[in-house]
Amino acid sequence: MITQEEKQLARECLDFALQAGASDARITLTKSTEDLIATLDGQVDRVTRCADRSLSIAIFAGGSFGSFSSNKIERDSLRTFINEAVATVRMLAPDPYRRLPDPERCCKDAQSGFEMQIYDEAYQHMTAGVRSKSALDAAVFGKNVQALAEGAALISEEGEYSDSEYDVYVIDTHGLECRHTETSFDYGVEVTIQDAEGNKYSDYWWTASPRLADFDPAQCGVTALKRACAQIGSEPLKSGRYNMVVSSNVASRLVSPLLNALNAYSIQQGNSFLVDSLGKQVFSDRLSILDEPWRKGESGSKLFDSEGVRTSAAPIIENGVIKRYFVNTYMSGKLGMDPTGEDAVRPLLKAFPKAGTDESGLMELCGDGILVTDFNGGNCNMATGDFSYGIAGQLFRDGKTVKPVSEMLITGNFLTLWKNLIASGDDFRSCSPKLIGSLAFSEVEFSG
Amino acid sequence: MDLFGVTRTELRTIVNEGLKGGGWCDLYFEQTVYNDLLLRDSQVASGGFHLDYGCGIRVLNGEKTGYAYSESTDFASLMDAARAATAVAGKPGSFKTGSAAPKAVPPYGMELDWDGADKKELASWLASVEAAIRAREPRTSKVIALMSWSVSHIMMYNSLDELTFDSRPLGSVTVTAIFSQAGSTEQRNVSRSFRCGREMLSDELKETLAAEAVAGLDDSFAARRPKGGKMPVVMAAGASGILLHEAMGHAFEADFNRKGQSIFSDRMGKRICKRGINILDDATVPGNRGSLAYDDEGVPGQKTYMVQDGVLTSYLHDRISAGWYGVPPTGNGRRESFRYNPIPRMRATYMESGTDGTLQDLIASVQKGIYVDKFANGEVKIGEGDFTFYVNRGYLIENGRITMPVKDINIIGNGPKALADIEAVADDLIIDNGTWTCGKEQSVAVSCGIPSVLIKNLTVGGE
Repeated sequence: MITQEEKQLARECLDFALQAGASDARITLTKSTEDLIATLDGQVDRVTRCADRSLSIAIFAGGSFGSFSSNKIERDSLRTFINEAVATVRMLAPDPYRRLPDPERCCKDAQSGFEMQIYDEAYQHMTAGVRSKSALDAAVFGKNVQALAEGAALISEEGEYSDSEYDVYVIDTHGLECRHTETSFDYGVEVTIQDAEGNKYSDYWWTASPRLADFDPAQCGVTALKRACAQIGSEPLKSGRYNMVVSSNVASRLVSPLLNALNAYSIQQGNSFLVDSLGKQVFSDRLSILDEPWRKGESGSKLFDSEGVRTSAAPIIENGVIKRYFVNTYMSGKLGMDPTGEDAVRPLLKAFPKAGTDESGLMELCGDGILVTDFNGGNCNMATGDFSYGIAGQLFRDGKTVKPVSEMLITGNFLTLWKNLIASGDDFRSCSPKLIGSLAFSEVEFSG
Repeated sequence: MDLFGVTRTELRTIVNEGLKGGGWCDLYFEQTVYNDLLLRDSQVASGGFHLDYGCGIRVLNGEKTGYAYSESTDFASLMDAARAATAVAGKPGSFKTGSAAPKAVPPYGMELDWDGADKKELASWLASVEAAIRAREPRTSKVIALMSWSVSHIMMYNSLDELTFDSRPLGSVTVTAIFSQAGSTEQRNVSRSFRCGREMLSDELKETLAAEAVAGLDDSFAARRPKGGKMPVVMAAGASGILLHEAMGHAFEADFNRKGQSIFSDRMGKRICKRGINILDDATVPGNRGSLAYDDEGVPGQKTYMVQDGVLTSYLHDRISAGWYGVPPTGNGRRESFRYNPIPRMRATYMESGTDGTLQDLIASVQKGIYVDKFANGEVKIGEGDFTFYVNRGYLIENGRITMPVKDINIIGNGPKALADIEAVADDLIIDNGTWTCGKEQSVAVSCGIPSVLIKNLTVGGE
């Protein structure tokens, strides 16, 4: 945890910057610890202890701007470092739009760091023995696991348990002072199986929670095994247009390009397929995404962004209409737009047509199609929205999975894809900061 | 040793503390200063530098690893980290490793030290890249150019009493150019990266970047998606080497094989592709982004043939896997920084030139297929070997000739099968000098290369 002495040193660093000739500055002091236990085939394979701290400083001097960081957190070396940083900024071209955010927009109610209630005191009582036990208990290798398909063998299991504490303290020369503190307990596992013909299949699963009491890694290994076994005998289908249901654990892959395209940096550079779309109906009226950054006790919740600006609970896309670009202080000046915030913190895609819908419900709704359970590579052209992704999953008929699918590609354009949204579920995983449930689309181009 | 404030006696004491928990202990000291300058909206109006300093301590007990690091290199902090690293075993253990490291000759250096750079001159060079692009192409609407450079000072010490030093420069220029034509936009990303000083910032490099940024732009505006399906694919020399890296190279990394995860784990000594194909991973290419005087375990950089005349001959080893297989380490133990333990990683991975003629010969041999001129990112599933690559730019091949330009499609296949399906290798190897970064658990600088090749059957995404 950041100490009073370290906070005082951060304040002194602001003074160092002003004394060196900066007109303004912002300090971000971070400190974190993490303990990690990796297992291989049911045995401890690697134990890692991490302890980090870093001081970053954004400097505004002579109309110019630069950002700098150091992990040598000692008064004398920081003073020298900041003097050099200010001298460097003075060599850069002036930029009239670089400035600190308006203090009125800044967060004033994140003082202790614990406001979001995602710090668990139980972290302080974790021991090497408890961590090893958590990692080993979660492993399935060598245990009598019913999930393994007949004739298949578990070749390898790599698990990783970790717990961590993260603390960030942000101050600036306009009086900003805010802090955010959180803990996290994480477990992820990847298994490789071999079928009777010698073909290998691998898959993964993971979970995380800010609180130890809500952390339950017990089913991760079994889930990963089931996912790997479900791929046995997979092959490409005939190319064509199919309905597509995307599992909630990978659905954010299709939402992230939308959020990236709403970022003011992309808009200003003309490198976004959502240029000039603010306030316009661009997608299906079935699509609504809002930001929910203030849910206490939930992963990813945060009161302020990297500028110290207060986050906001607000619609991003409402019934297919673009309601918000992500505009930080700098881009606000560049674009002549009101600032909003630099990014979505906890985007929530609202269920349609009704709450309580999951992946199975969407397959029933679609009848026939392909269930995508994993993506393999691919990309999106941000200027046009054209995309192509490798996929793996299951063919479904009459709402039931019937055959594993692999080595197929989906190809299309995001504007079209989201116009073809059939329905969306609310079966998102609470351990993820992106609250995206399963999704169903019509008329998706599959190549195999 | 002055940089890190430790003596050899202290190093021995710290390692001896680590050996209380295993049969091997090594220390990795690092100071890296990373600098950048960003050109956006025709001005270099932001930049900065970032200092990262510390020491990682690793204890090995058999194949088990204990790891801890300290951002302070005072003796007490390092002793604490050594004690934390012993946690994997809690008692003395064993570890087999290869021989002591001979002195290596670095395949890089700096004629013009980055430290002596006038940042205004660097900014001026960056601005000249934009000017060169605009001079060549009036449809240029935006140029974003990032210049970054770092010098890492590394000191490694281990329980064989080997003390090794390395200074690694890395300079990079990345340019994103956006072009507009009648309401359509095209984006191009071009880059160059070398282990050298600022002598890399030449007029020749500026013109090369500009020429590459605008090459074939008319075709890109006209490009469409082809009809998808299985077809022969001709891959251009150079950046197509990402196929080797992703679809084959990772499966050659010894950790995946030691754990039985790789599709190649039972193929050592067996034929995996046609005669005449040689694939290697090389740390000795002068000034190359993937080159290393020593790897991050103090093993000298070297050339490692994984495939010779079509036969799998070696995996890529760190000290752990080399000990497990009973072979010398190959210098592939790499890490992102002192915060990470080393694992088997590639360096510059490429296929040697073949004897099947020229690129034109390969294209002429295809009735209906795709010629891929420019790949972007790729991804692979190690167990299955399934890979996907995104095609920025390519062309249809019809009756042995290049016809319609295509873009924004994926190619999907299976690594071992694609390797076995290579029907022809041209005589035009190019090692690509782009800013390739491999992201296997940790980020490390790599490069890749390949001659033009013909693969008889891959799945191409399309309408």
